[in-house]
Amino acid sequence: MLPFVLYFTCAVVTGFHIYTLLALAVYGAPFNPLELLALLGSLALMIAAYMSLFRPYAAARVALIAALALWSFYAPAIARMVRTRIGTSTSTLSIGIYQASGIGS
Amino acid sequence: MNTFDKMILPYLAMAVLLAVTVYAASASFRQKPDDSRLNWLFPDGTSRSFRISVGILTAALTVGLVGWFSVSARKSTRLSSRFLIPEGYIGRVRIEFEVSAAPALPVEVGQYVLKIPSNGVLKTSSPEQYGWANDSYYYYSAAGAHQLSDSDPHRLVWGKINGEATGSSGKTKYEEFFVGTKSQFMDQSGAGGKATP
Repeated sequence: MLPFVLYFTCAVVTGFHIYTLLALAVYGAPFNPLELLALLGSLALMIAAYMSLFRPYAAARVALIAALALWSFYAPAIARMVRTRIGTSTSTLSIGIYQASGIGS
Repeated sequence: MNTFDKMILPYLAMAVLLAVTVYAASASFRQKPDDSRLNWLFPDGTSRSFRISVGILTAALTVGLVGWFSVSARKSTRLSSRFLIPEGYIGRVRIEFEVSAAPALPVEVGQYVLKIPSNGVLKTSSPEQYGWANDSYYYYSAAGAHQLSDSDPHRLVWGKINGEATGSSGKTKYEEFFVGTKSQFMDQSGAGGKATP
């Protein structure tokens, strides 16, 4: 039960977040290819959630790969956010970095 | 975007992702379970009743989502409109909706027909329609009708807007657009159109 709830919740939350970022592309906003990879990761995590009902160990491996795909998008975003918070950039620049990273969009 | 999307959602996503990463790594690389106390954390499987519950909830969620998408898709379309404009009319065209004393818009071949009078203002008791549709524009005269282009390079329909005005007779919903060349559209200063037959 725990792995299903965990994987399912993560798939829904990350999927919705990345979808909201990708939806901005309709209005002409540039999008990062890593967003597509991360969306694929959310989909794989959803598959892992259902797999976990029958084969929890195989599901854990799929979930780990999916999580790595998601981190390829979130890790650079966190790194840039931390760098900005430390104060190497002006506040105007930090807003741009947040948006480019998808953290604050 | 609202505050949830801007502030909470990204951090929530990262927190849950971190939890999943730690859990999935632990479950993937741990040795065969030798401690029965951790069975709740790393279960070998789930009960039949839980699987059935998940299956039913997933089916209900899928049906709900499909229903919601189909209803919202149906709501986002409308009947298209055919605008019949007097031949040679150049200027702003205005359609006022929900005017109680005015006639309703006729529907012909699945299209609303809006026959604009020579003063460029059409009043109708029909409500304004919202959604996606492919409208068409025609100049009409006793000799017949010919279509006006509403796209480049020979565009003759410009600046279509929808609005709501409040006057002595209450609120009026209206739609306006300009008929003419690009230079005429740029030159017009908001005055009503003039018929030049």
